[in-house]
Amino acid sequence: MGATRIPGNITQGSTAKGGIGESTLRPDGTLKVTGEFAYSSDMWHEDMLWGFTLRSPHAHAEIKSIDTSEALAQAGVYAVLTYDDLPTDVKNYGLEIQDTPVLAHGRVRHHGEPVALVAADHPETARRAAAKIKVEYVQLPVVHDEQTALAEDAPLLHPGRDDHHAGHVPHPNVVHRQPIHRGDVAAARARADVIVSGEYVVGMQDQAFLGPESGLAVPAEDGGVDLYIATQWLHSDLRQIAPVLGLPPEKVRMTLSGVGGAFGGREDLSMQIHACLLALRTGKPVKIVYNRFESFFGHVHRHPAKLWYEHGATKDGKLTHMRCRIVLDGGAYASASPAVVGNASSLSVGPYVIDDVEIEAVALYTNNPPCGAMRGFGAVQACFAYEAQMDKLAAELGMDPVEFRRLNAMSQGTLLPTGQVVDSPAPVAELLRRIKAMPLPPERQWETAGESADVRALPGGLSNTTHGEGVVRGVGYAVGIKNVGFSEGFDDYSTARVRLEVVGGEPVAVVHTAMAEVGQGGVTVHAQIARTELGVTQVTIHPADTQVGSAGSTSASRQTYVTGGAVKNTCEAVREKVLELGRARFGSYHPAWATAELLLESGKVVTDGGEVLADLVEVLEGEAIDLELEWRHRPTEAFDLHTGQGNGHVQYSFAAHRAVVEVDTELGLVKVVELACAQDVGRALNPLSVVGQIQGGTTQGLGLAVMEEIVVSKEAKVRNPSFTDYLIPTILDTPTIPVDVLELADEHAPYGLRGIGEAPTLSSTPAVVSAIRAATGLALNRVPVRPEHLTGT
Amino acid sequence: MREFGYQRVFDVPGAVALLGTDPEARFLGGGTNLVDLMKAGVERPALLVDVTELPLGRIEATADGGLRIGATVTNSDLAADPQVRRHYPALAQAVLAGASGQLRNMATIGGNLLQRTRCGYFADLTKPCNKRVPGSGCPAIEGEHHNHAILGASEHCVAVHPSDMGVALTAFDAVVSYETADGPGELPLAEFYLPVGDTPHLETALPSGALITGITLPPNPVAAVSRYRKVRERASYAFAIGSIAAALDVRDGLVREVRLAFGAVASRPWRAREAERLLTGGPASAEAFAAAADAELAAAETLPHNAYKVTLMRNLVVAVLTELTEEATR
Amino acid sequence: MAQSTSSVITLNVNGEKRTLPVDHRTTLLDALRERLDLTGTKKGCDQGQCGACTVLIDGRRAVSCLQLAVAAEGREITTIEGLADGDQLHPVQQAFLDLDGFQCGYCTPGQICSALAVIEEHAAGWPSAATTDVRPEAGVPPLTADEIRERMSGNLCRCGAYVSIVQAVARAAGVETAQAAPALPQQGRTEEGTAA
Repeated sequence: MGATRIPGNITQGSTAKGGIGESTLRPDGTLKVTGEFAYSSDMWHEDMLWGFTLRSPHAHAEIKSIDTSEALAQAGVYAVLTYDDLPTDVKNYGLEIQDTPVLAHGRVRHHGEPVALVAADHPETARRAAAKIKVEYVQLPVVHDEQTALAEDAPLLHPGRDDHHAGHVPHPNVVHRQPIHRGDVAAARARADVIVSGEYVVGMQDQAFLGPESGLAVPAEDGGVDLYIATQWLHSDLRQIAPVLGLPPEKVRMTLSGVGGAFGGREDLSMQIHACLLALRTGKPVKIVYNRFESFFGHVHRHPAKLWYEHGATKDGKLTHMRCRIVLDGGAYASASPAVVGNASSLSVGPYVIDDVEIEAVALYTNNPPCGAMRGFGAVQACFAYEAQMDKLAAELGMDPVEFRRLNAMSQGTLLPTGQVVDSPAPVAELLRRIKAMPLPPERQWETAGESADVRALPGGLSNTTHGEGVVRGVGYAVGIKNVGFSEGFDDYSTARVRLEVVGGEPVAVVHTAMAEVGQGGVTVHAQIARTELGVTQVTIHPADTQVGSAGSTSASRQTYVTGGAVKNTCEAVREKVLELGRARFGSYHPAWATAELLLESGKVVTDGGEVLADLVEVLEGEAIDLELEWRHRPTEAFDLHTGQGNGHVQYSFAAHRAVVEVDTELGLVKVVELACAQDVGRALNPLSVVGQIQGGTTQGLGLAVMEEIVVSKEAKVRNPSFTDYLIPTILDTPTIPVDVLELADEHAPYGLRGIGEAPTLSSTPAVVSAIRAATGLALNRVPVRPEHLTGT
Repeated sequence: MREFGYQRVFDVPGAVALLGTDPEARFLGGGTNLVDLMKAGVERPALLVDVTELPLGRIEATADGGLRIGATVTNSDLAADPQVRRHYPALAQAVLAGASGQLRNMATIGGNLLQRTRCGYFADLTKPCNKRVPGSGCPAIEGEHHNHAILGASEHCVAVHPSDMGVALTAFDAVVSYETADGPGELPLAEFYLPVGDTPHLETALPSGALITGITLPPNPVAAVSRYRKVRERASYAFAIGSIAAALDVRDGLVREVRLAFGAVASRPWRAREAERLLTGGPASAEAFAAAADAELAAAETLPHNAYKVTLMRNLVVAVLTELTEEATR
Repeated sequence: MAQSTSSVITLNVNGEKRTLPVDHRTTLLDALRERLDLTGTKKGCDQGQCGACTVLIDGRRAVSCLQLAVAAEGREITTIEGLADGDQLHPVQQAFLDLDGFQCGYCTPGQICSALAVIEEHAAGWPSAATTDVRPEAGVPPLTADEIRERMSGNLCRCGAYVSIVQAVARAAGVETAQAAPALPQQGRTEEGTAA
């Protein structure tokens, strides 16, 4: 075994080709199918120690005392750290509000909160030593829902709040509240011929990425630390880590290691600071790897939500107004709750035209597990509710649910409830038309399959189902809207460094960004952009690290837009430098150097007319062009705290789903036969990856619809932290997912592209539930829908 | 995990003798349940006696036309065996409905019989559990119990047995053979699992130190028309929330013989003898199936979140017996 | 009698004999990853609930997280690192690569080892829970998409690359069908105005 195992450059074989618009394969693909790709849990350093985290068994308790002496005395134990060992005055961290203690101080606020750390020479030794830490707890009353959180005498999760939301919230246990008012709801309501309302509930979903939180911290000779980590945003981590360690940012050198899935769950810190603290304390490399149980406590979840909605419509099917109240349970710490509130409120109306609205969204502080980012956050919860409402309205009006939606669909030019004009294509009606026009899978396949029933085609397959008598087909539709990129005035930018040089007689581009590749295929797209813009075949992807400027987060469907945009922008600047060099060296040989539009293609400088002027190799002549540039999308602005008005978003993403389900009403089993998706992607930079993202998001939405929920007891304790008890879809639960991709360019975005990763997660869930409702006639106002909700009792 | 000794054994007397040397020794088969529980700290053996190399890996026809299945036969080999598939299809289906291909390759049928419950409180050392720590209490009754027992439970424990295979074996009157230091013995499956009562920690009637050597399936012509059906919260790779093994012989619209066992409703595979009694000799009709199921389930005692299982099991009985009627009369 | 709690064992991994002392508590997964530098096998749950750690033991797929290393002595172990022939990928690896049967890739080594075994199990005539009639007289069921799904269901993929995984297994098994063909998006064009 070598001295270390850490990430390295990724260079695709010389057979790799393909610029934007082509379905090129992943540059890291071969490494991933051979097992060579180095994930964060694979990091290894000679002489390294293993860290372990002692967590609170209680959801809410005062810590009277912590005695670490017995743990420290164990053979093989190098360090035991508690709050008192934190080296500086900075003892909290957080994405937006720094309310999360690095280690608990006097009080634990949720089940599984980190209390102490151990470093030992073996993971089992560390685990056993942690069990010998004596913590004296006095349990406190638990805040576990809206009623207990907002009671006048409710225990305050964070007394003495001084964050920027503290001043405007109605109760200190409200993290953030965003109202949006537009138009005259009373007047519009009076015009309505039908009014429907409903209360909807979304359970707590987990990202459940397959690769648990892990990383390796290596103390450096300069007193700093090198951290190899799986995260979604290196620089955000860095901003939170360095002050706690008391180190300047340049002494905390972070390198992205292989990320085993993220889906929002790696936006917050987990073991980053802990590993660094132990490494700096012991002077030895420290690796921390969570097990699955711990992973369920080690990251935030999707906010469970209660949503009350009222819509009205005229008898000819035009929406009159909407009122809604969305209550999101943020759990013990703020995490991304403020942004979740922003999305939930500003997108609560869905992709529809409604001029008169009264909207309120709040996120609560409770003693439940902290909730934050998960694919589609805020918008996922709202979409489940407003799409259920659309079905109800259509039924009430006796209209086709798709036609009703089309009649009210937003389009380019629509004014959002926030007063913002949708200034790029919004083909909502067209997506609905396409999804409805797709051919339906054959009915009752078990009957057409032959003489005897083909029970494989039934819900749950052979072992699960009845013979078909009680099996009812249902079809459901849904459509959603998701904002792309960071909203509400956040300075959302990315940085790309591109180096072009001749290696072995061939021009090679090295692309270096801090973008977290989490499986979305960002590095594939970067290589494609570099090939397109620089006319090279060979592209090397430098490991993502903090030696280059921030790329922002791999979340909010933003990376292809923003870091893709940054790579394109830097490539264009590099190309300009190449052309400058070329003009200087060869300009006198051909007038086109001065007059023509010049491009780089196939390793050559060519005119837009296709005339070859020079070889890139000759132009560069041993020189390397190396540029690092920042790139940002159009600025956004914050929503007004009272009216909710403001140009808060930069781009939107739309997807529509049609679910075809067969429900065994006697056994409560649901088979999703097909889950078709139509989505506008602006421009498909890599069609293969686009389809993969859409199918993946759709599958996670399916999981929320019929099985996924973290069960939290009345005592605010997690009851199912395992893959036996928290079920995610298997391959057998996943139907065929036909994808219809629409490409209507957004002129404001690089190549006209649109962020795509989240939209399919939104509409998948309500489409499936709509189809189950159609099959069963049940109201089903809560997800996930389980067998017990379908059989009745 | 506690440190432990490990010995591989190659003959049955040696295995039994070695186990007898240490009261904290346990037999290790595929380890798919035991190793998992050792990691959780629920099982803390001092010595593992690896029985996978014992000469108990065969499936053989018995002289009277039944089958004898060695204890170390893997679940995969059991489900793939042509004799099992031909004469006891519900047994093959039950095994195939459990776990995953990987786990079925590892798990042995002896170990399968001794699987522990998947009740979340049983594996959670921070919680009381009468099965794990006798007398400590049962938090499931007031807590998370949507997949807990509706039949034969007690105020001391409402956990269910997780085996699929055991449900089919129960329907087919399988007999468990074992070996002890004092010689061999046999237990019909009906007597193999103990009632819960106030001793939920005592799960089987196996004598202390006994090694399961095999399972004998008596000849059972009715089993040739049999099915196993499992309801779970996803399509595969999940434990049952209700399951059924059934075999049926119908002539001229009358039930000549029927076997019926339920899974995931009790601390053990539940033989539905009352339903069988009512059905035998009566009409093979949906009404009769429903009435028989209702009679069997009349004894059900439900908790706030598991009452759905009564409806589920009733519908399962009707659905599966209706299908078997069609198959038997085809 | 006090038993030793560790042993020196020889593991036969990818055709190579590797001798190492192990604490008996060591799982095969940990032995591969932490002791033998074979980190391609992944730990997703360590409880037999996800399939990421799937390897082949004596040619059969197994979850290495529930397999004690000491109990694997004398068996032939094949991991993801043992599949390719030099630079020549195994056909299952190639199919996963070509059809994009993964995203983050963490479950992929397990998926590939499992797929290899699925193809062999099917060829050996093993039925599955998706098999309509398990009786031997019914013959070997065709390896349909649903058979592939059921047989691969012990390998979770959270990225949701399942549709491509079905295609990849079908291709590697040589049963590629219209249903299993890769679905590239239609390069769509709106038939109605976008500002409708």
